[in-house]
Amino acid sequence: MYLALRELRVARGRFVLVGAVIALVAMLTTMLSGLANGLVDDGISGLRRLPMTHLAFQHGAEETFSRSTLNDRDLERWSGVEGVEASPLGVSFVNARTESGKTVDVALFGVPAGSFLAPRHDAEEALAGPPGLVLSHEFEEQGIEVGDRLTIVGVDEEVPVLGFTYAGSYGHVDIAFTSLETWQSLLYGDNARGRFSAIALQGDPDTVAAAAERIDAADGTATVTKQEAYAGSPGYAGETQTMSMIQWFLLVISALIVGAFFVVWTMQRARQIAVLKALGASRGYVARDAVGQLVVVLLLATALGGLVAFGAGALVGNTAVPFRLAAAPALTALGLLVVAGLLGCLAGIRKVVSVDPAMALRSAD
Amino acid sequence: MSLRLENITVAVPDGTTRRVLLDRLDLGVQPGETVAVTGASGSGKSTLVAVAGLLRAPDEGRVLLGGTDATALNDRGRVRLRRDQVGIVFQSPNLLPALTAREQVEVVAHIAGALDATARARAVDLLERVGLADRLDARPAELSGGERQRVGIARALMNEPTVVLADEPTASLDPERGQAVLDLLLDEARRVGAATVVVTHDPDQAARADRHLHLSRGTIQAGSRA
Repeated sequence: MYLALRELRVARGRFVLVGAVIALVAMLTTMLSGLANGLVDDGISGLRRLPMTHLAFQHGAEETFSRSTLNDRDLERWSGVEGVEASPLGVSFVNARTESGKTVDVALFGVPAGSFLAPRHDAEEALAGPPGLVLSHEFEEQGIEVGDRLTIVGVDEEVPVLGFTYAGSYGHVDIAFTSLETWQSLLYGDNARGRFSAIALQGDPDTVAAAAERIDAADGTATVTKQEAYAGSPGYAGETQTMSMIQWFLLVISALIVGAFFVVWTMQRARQIAVLKALGASRGYVARDAVGQLVVVLLLATALGGLVAFGAGALVGNTAVPFRLAAAPALTALGLLVVAGLLGCLAGIRKVVSVDPAMALRSAD
Repeated sequence: MSLRLENITVAVPDGTTRRVLLDRLDLGVQPGETVAVTGASGSGKSTLVAVAGLLRAPDEGRVLLGGTDATALNDRGRVRLRRDQVGIVFQSPNLLPALTAREQVEVVAHIAGALDATARARAVDLLERVGLADRLDARPAELSGGERQRVGIARALMNEPTVVLADEPTASLDPERGQAVLDLLLDEARRVGAATVVVTHDPDQAARADRHLHLSRGTIQAGSRA
C-alpha cells in the first residue's frame, strides 16, 4: 500500500468522483433499507406486537385473514392442548366516518376481553364493557379523541372511541381493537354463529407444532408461526420482493461501477504498475496495492453514504413516509455493498497482474 | 562474472514468419565493468536490456546473474532475482507521479520488504550523491528532466545491484545534461562495483564506457575496449 496511500493523498480529485458515486449508492442502499423496514413495519407492526407465537388459519387461506373463517368448534380443539393458550381473533378492514365527516381506513382486530391478545390492561377493561374501539396512536394524529363516535361505513353502526393503545398497523392500515362480540356484530350482524378469522396461539414452538400436526389434519386448519403469517399481510410479499430486487440491483450496479473504475484506472496507470514490476514487485504486491487503494475508497465512501443516509433518515422518520432505519439490516446492506465492490475489483485484478513489466522500457512519448 | 548471456535468441511473430530480435547472442560483464551497446533502431538493444533485466524470457539460451541461472527459475524466482540483483535506469525516467524523490528511491526497499531506518538513510544518501540533497521532497512534476533522471539513477542503485542496466538513459535530455547524467551513472555504477550495460545511440557517450559493443540484427558486430 506504499504507492496506493500516497496516490490517494496526492491524486485526491481522481478518487472523489468514484467515491461520490459509491457514497450515493451507499446512501440509496441505506435509505432503501430504511424504506423496506418502514414498509414492513407499516404492513405487519400490529400483528408483530400481538403476544402470540402461532396462528391457525382455515386450510387454504394462505395466511390471509380475509380468506379464513374459523369457529368455536375449531377453537375448542386448541383450548384442550396443555401448555398452549388459544384465543379467537377477528381481523377485517372497514371504513369509519369521524364526527367531522372524514372517512378513515381501519384494520379492525376483534379480541375477547379476557384474551392474552388484549393490548394493555386498561384496553382489556375497555373491551370488557359496552361496544367501543381502542385505537392505535396513529388515529390521535388524525384528530380523533377519546369519546368521539366513529360510524362504521356499510353497517352504519356508531361505535365510541374508548381509548388509545400502542401504535401499530396491518396492511398499511392503522389498527383498532374491539371486543370479539362487537367485531362479530359489525361483520355478521346477528348471524355470527361463533365465527372469527383465525386462532392466535401462544406456547412452546415444539408443543404447538406437535399439536398442530394433529389438529390441522383433523380439523382442516393450517397453523403457521407468527412470522410466517406476515406473508398474508396485503402487499407484504410484493413489497419485500420489490425492495429486495432493488437492493440486489444496487449491489450489482455498485460492483459494476467499482469494477469499471478499477479497470479504467488500472489501464491509466499500467505504466506505473509496469515500473513497479520492473523494480522487482511481485504480482501479489501490485495486486495488493491496487485493490487496497480501492478498498480504502470503498470503505470511506460507503461509511460516508451510510452516515448521510442515517442523518436523512432521522429527518424523514418524522414524516408520513414509512421509513425506519435499523442498524442491523442497514449495516448488512452496506456490508454487502462493500463485498460487491470488492468483487467488482477482483474481476479486474487480472488486468493488474498481467501488466508486462517490459512496458517500462518503452518510451513514454 | 556478474552478468552472463549465453547463446540468447529472441524472436517475435511477424505475419506468417518470425522476426529475430536477438540471434545467438553471447555477452559477459565483469563486476565494476561498464559496457556501452550501440546500434540502429530495431537492432535489438532494448530487447537485450529486457532479457538481461529478466523482464522477458529468451526463446533460447541462458541468463546468469551473479552465477544464478535465471532461465532455470520460475516466475517468482526471476522476480526475486530481479528485485535483489538488478537496477534499471529507463529511457523515460518512469518516476511515479505521487511519490517524492525520496519516496521514489525508498519504494525499492518497500518492494523488497526492507524499508527501515537504514534503508531510508541510504535513500537520502543516494539522492545526495546524485546532487539532489535539496530536492528530496519534490515530486516529479516539480523536477527538471535531468533531475528526474538522477532520481532514476539513485533508484536503480538502491537495492545495491550486481547488475545495472540503462536503456538510453539520456535520450530525453539535451547533450550537455545527458553527458553529465551518463558520467554520474557510470561513476556510481563503478563505485558500487556493478556490472553495467548502457544502451545508447551516441558514440561519444559509448566511448566513456570500459567496453563498446555494436549490435546489428540481433548480433554483436564489433567490440572495442577503452
